[in-house]
Amino acid sequence: MLSIGKPDRIRSKLAFQETRTAYLFLIPAFVGLIVLTYLPLVAIFVLSFFKWKGAGTPIFVGWDNYVRLFTTDPYFIDSIKVTCYFSVVAVVGSMLYSLIIALLLNRKIPGRGFFRAVFYLPYILPAVAVYIGWAWLYESNFGLFNYALSKLGVDKVNFIADPNYVVPSLALIAVWLSGNLIVIFLAGLQNVPRVYHEAAEIDGANVWRRFVHVTLPCMTPIIFYNLLMALVTNLQIVTPALALTNGGPGNSSMFMTYLMYRSAFKSANFGYASTISFVFFIIIAIFTGLVFASSRKWVFYEGGDGK
Amino acid sequence: MSKAGSHTGLNLYRSRRRIGRVASTLSLIAVILLAVIVMFPIWWIFRSSLMTNAEIYAWPPALLPDRWLFSNYGETLENFPFWRYFGNTMKIIAPSVIFGTATATLCGYAFARLRFRGKKFFFSLCVGSMLLPTMVTLVPLYIMWTRGFGLADSYLPLILPFLCGGGAFNIFLIRQFVSTIPRELDEAAFIDGAGHLRILFHIIVPAIKPAMVVVALLLFIMLWNDLLQQIVYINSTEKFTIAIGLTQFKGSLGSDWVMIMCATCMSFLPGIIFYLIGQKQFVEGIVLTGMKN
Repeated sequence: MLSIGKPDRIRSKLAFQETRTAYLFLIPAFVGLIVLTYLPLVAIFVLSFFKWKGAGTPIFVGWDNYVRLFTTDPYFIDSIKVTCYFSVVAVVGSMLYSLIIALLLNRKIPGRGFFRAVFYLPYILPAVAVYIGWAWLYESNFGLFNYALSKLGVDKVNFIADPNYVVPSLALIAVWLSGNLIVIFLAGLQNVPRVYHEAAEIDGANVWRRFVHVTLPCMTPIIFYNLLMALVTNLQIVTPALALTNGGPGNSSMFMTYLMYRSAFKSANFGYASTISFVFFIIIAIFTGLVFASSRKWVFYEGGDGK
Repeated sequence: MSKAGSHTGLNLYRSRRRIGRVASTLSLIAVILLAVIVMFPIWWIFRSSLMTNAEIYAWPPALLPDRWLFSNYGETLENFPFWRYFGNTMKIIAPSVIFGTATATLCGYAFARLRFRGKKFFFSLCVGSMLLPTMVTLVPLYIMWTRGFGLADSYLPLILPFLCGGGAFNIFLIRQFVSTIPRELDEAAFIDGAGHLRILFHIIVPAIKPAMVVVALLLFIMLWNDLLQQIVYINSTEKFTIAIGLTQFKGSLGSDWVMIMCATCMSFLPGIIFYLIGQKQFVEGIVLTGMKN
């Protein structure tokens, strides 16, 4: 038996053990966060003030890189526009698409599991293969989409070879790829408490009103989460530029990540590429900051008035 | 009075049910239509891979190939060493998925169950990293791996990061899942003298298997989709992955669409097979983890 007074020491010994185990288990993540995430972030900030071709000593150039980026660089302003344009179209498109599919799949329809798998399938295909496969569908003369347009009596469109259509065309592929959002929406829909729907139904609310006043408010945390993830994913878009368009035609698909890739790994301007990365980081921070700030107005958490 | 009331109530109930049935049928039709539309591009790519060059450029295009030329695949394999690319890709994916899942489990368990000083701080570090895109840190990491560790043209820079928790999202996923498991289980084991490692392996791991499958599949998909990092770190042709190989193949062939579609379909296949194997657990896991989002 333990004597009076000892439990304290035992408890502190146990707490010590627990802390030690926790630190031990977290070493990998901690090392990863420091070495692979936060130090590199500091590094790009520092490097963004240098001119460095990858060999020799980096030369300190002050704000030169930033000035060049925003004044004389022929690609940079376009790349911000293109990236934002793509992201907005792709995010809005994939959110609407996946919410509609999830709402349909949430009904009692036969073969639900099968359909869920069908809509999820594009997401598990390797992105490069998807973009190359779609490039054939978008082909100017013999592609599926131009065939469909000709059936509708519309003239042929060059899709990814046309500066006006390349971004929406690629955004459509991004929408097609958003099966992961569907699965998360569906999980959220299945957690909307039935009692709310029943109460609203008894009060005489029709389907639309139930959707607006019950489903949507209950879903706002999930919508918020999906919005954030879709935004971060789509702002980083680079694969189609690497695999298909090389940023063209013109600058019309010069996504920021691709521009960064080009200056770092094609022209070996590591300092300049770091400047692009840092500006890009700021842009992502602004976007996510806006989403977070607005979330206070529209995201409802159950059992609390917006905590 | 009361009889009439119940009568209209019944009618209302009946008409509601009829509306419900009509709505269900309509949504089934909508789902089928949408599913056909969503699957159609895959069918079109597949059907193009089985055609002759004359057929593929026919106008109007045919829905089905005249003869299913699976021999196209043999010809493509002569120029597109799919199996080598596949092997190389697996050399990156297999260790990464194993490391990532294992360390995510350790970290997720620590966050869910253990009390320790600095937990909040650690946690916010994790949250912050979730919003930090990989491309932002690419340049310094490239310099670190190639200059600092001399790992140019190597798979290690692609694999080693997965020894570090497999990403914040996956750590959260495991954490959420662990916190749904009743604490009584591990407390009982603790009283019986089990250490944290034993509790983790004998109680937690068996209970969170679905979540671990989800993490493994998500890591798989992430690596499967990657092209940028692979292009940056891998230079020699013998080390090419499917993603790089396919990009190069498309670049060099330009418009031999039959062969390009064959190569595309081959690249689709492994993902589909893995998904079909893990699908049931995967969807279950997402639904379960989504509940605590």
